[in-house]
Amino acid sequence: MLKSTYKPSQNQPPPLPPGWTEHKAPTGHTYYYNATTKQSTYTRPSASPLPTPTATTVPQHPPQDPHANFFQYSNVPQLSDPATANAFLAQYDPAHQRHLQQQQHGGRGGHRGYNEGKDRPRPQPVDKPKSKVAIPGCEPWLLVYTKYGRRFAYNPVKNASYWRIPEKVMKGVLELDIRGIKEKATGEHGGVTDAKASTSPSAEPERKLSTAETAETTEGMAEQVELGSDYEEVEVTDDEDEQEEGDREIEEGQSSERPSKRQRTEEPAEDAPIEFNEDDIAYQLQAMGDEYGLDPGEYDDGNPDAWPEGAEGLPLSEADARELFKDLLNDYGINPYSSWEKLIEEGRIIDDGRYTVLNTMKARKDVWEEWSRERIQVLKEQRAKEEKKDPRIPYLAFLQQKATPKLYWPEFRRKYKKEAPMRDTNLSDRDREKWYREHINRLKLPQDVLKKDLATLLRSVPLRSFNNKTHLENLPPEILADLRYISLDPQIRDPLIEAYIQTLGQPPAADEAEEDEAARKAKEERRKREKALQERERIVAEEKRKQKRQLEFGKAALREEERELERAMHVGKKGLQSQLLSANKADSAAGLLGSS
Amino acid sequence: MPPIRSLGSSRNKKPPAGFEDIRDDLEIFNIKMKDAQNTPTNNIPKHQAQWPIFQIAHQRSRYVYELYYEKEAISKQLYDWLLKNGYADAMLIAKWKKQGYEKLCCLRCIQTKETNFQSTCVCRVPKAQLKDEQDVQCVSCGCRGCASSD
Repeated sequence: MLKSTYKPSQNQPPPLPPGWTEHKAPTGHTYYYNATTKQSTYTRPSASPLPTPTATTVPQHPPQDPHANFFQYSNVPQLSDPATANAFLAQYDPAHQRHLQQQQHGGRGGHRGYNEGKDRPRPQPVDKPKSKVAIPGCEPWLLVYTKYGRRFAYNPVKNASYWRIPEKVMKGVLELDIRGIKEKATGEHGGVTDAKASTSPSAEPERKLSTAETAETTEGMAEQVELGSDYEEVEVTDDEDEQEEGDREIEEGQSSERPSKRQRTEEPAEDAPIEFNEDDIAYQLQAMGDEYGLDPGEYDDGNPDAWPEGAEGLPLSEADARELFKDLLNDYGINPYSSWEKLIEEGRIIDDGRYTVLNTMKARKDVWEEWSRERIQVLKEQRAKEEKKDPRIPYLAFLQQKATPKLYWPEFRRKYKKEAPMRDTNLSDRDREKWYREHINRLKLPQDVLKKDLATLLRSVPLRSFNNKTHLENLPPEILADLRYISLDPQIRDPLIEAYIQTLGQPPAADEAEEDEAARKAKEERRKREKALQERERIVAEEKRKQKRQLEFGKAALREEERELERAMHVGKKGLQSQLLSANKADSAAGLLGSS
Repeated sequence: MPPIRSLGSSRNKKPPAGFEDIRDDLEIFNIKMKDAQNTPTNNIPKHQAQWPIFQIAHQRSRYVYELYYEKEAISKQLYDWLLKNGYADAMLIAKWKKQGYEKLCCLRCIQTKETNFQSTCVCRVPKAQLKDEQDVQCVSCGCRGCASSD
């Protein structure tokens, strides 16, 4: 039996420290994994007392496949705003990572790869803003504290942030710290004891306080040395790792220069007068996170309530969830005719984040059913709209490409049985065979005959559908569906047809005239109808007016009569005599008038 | 003597429009069925030998049934053609339309004759009425329960 002659080289790497195990990534890289701390690294950890930090974790932001990206963006309201964009990406992110991890493990069976992907530690959270404080004396500047106790200076006017606190702001920061320490001291006196405050030695703040007070008179720079680690300039680079951050966190937690976190969070309420709000902090941190290649939601594992809105997933209404799931189905090009079991068996959609927007399998199936019904209806309508195309055309085009005299029909059919034109049910196999044989026979004919045949074919087409306005791309179906058209090589055929088209006349105008005539007639009719309608309306209006007038006239007459009646009914208290008197008076007046 | 099938018989008639949409899925069922038929049954209990066959026949019938009755995706002509050409079991589908038989697994399971207690199969018993949480699998087709209330 053959044995490998390979011997491990003498300068073998030192053994791994306890807890670390060596693995081979599917890409061939060796990486190291610590099961206890859940760290993985490509660099070999040495057995030094301080374990090497994870220099490069598993790529946290692997290139996403463009397909998935497209899906994401296809149903997003607007992503021009980076904050919403990030939030939206974060919404889908966990699923993506799973998806991608599985892709990485693709070579070794889906299930195993999937499990490994789950075991692998997620990218550790980095940091997030915790609170912000206006720096007194340097107005636009703000000091932002992160969750891990780091802090950076932020200028909302310039929209710039620096880990390294700029010189001109330094003094303000010092003042701020002093005030913080004072507050802390008072807070401790007041009896507010939290875990941190109790652990911090109470003597130290006072000492610091005194140093700070003395320092106020002296140079800020000298003070910086005294105050120690908090003012160390932190250079943040891309390959900075979590371990280091963790160390710093511990370090800073121990150093009591900074007041406890709780006080910090209380502070900004009074001290932040300017327009630097949570959103701004979130924006800043997102920008920083982008530099590390992280998405919001990965900054933190602790308290999700302070995340930028949407980082942990927008609140989805049920309708939205259903729509999302439908989008998912659309995007994966699922066949609406296939069965649900097949879809699940395939398992393609399971890896997508939108698969989980619906919680139960029953809900998913419901949505799927609804979707497939809609989709089928849409497809049906589309088909109905599509014009009926002669099924022979694609088949003949296919024949022209593939048919050779070297293949008999059965061989040809077997070879190309998967091709769409060969499977088209609108054509019978017998027809296909017939055309194939005919075509092969025609291929054996001399070129002259073929050319002549083509000419006769072209001539047989009426001028209406084939004239000098026709392009080569849209020849009439009479030509395309003819064997004589395909039996010549396109390189010879196309110039011939083009030349023939040149000789053809204009498209016949008679048709158009006829059509015009018909259209004009129709228009005329229409106009007539409209005119008639107008006439009728006019007559009706007049009628109405007349009626109204009559009515009014009648009413007036009635009123007059009523008045007369009233007058007649009006009998005075003087009785009949007075009436007679008045009548006499009237008579005499009339007599007077008559005599005069 | 069996009737001689001519070339022009229904089996060779071209399918109605819409068949292209479902052909691939039906083809998959065909392949599955062939695989199930060709797997050796030496090492499994005799009564289990036909379970996969029943299962695939049920799935295929269900597929056609849903296409026609629930999704309304195929035409009457195509549905008839499919039934005629053996893509679905018309008798089973006829049962599915009846109340109480919506999920019936196979026709043998509702056959009361020639059974020990003159009753239907255990898979027809609703899960709620089974005594303890027993995991039954019926003898005839391997069904784990096809009562409508399950």
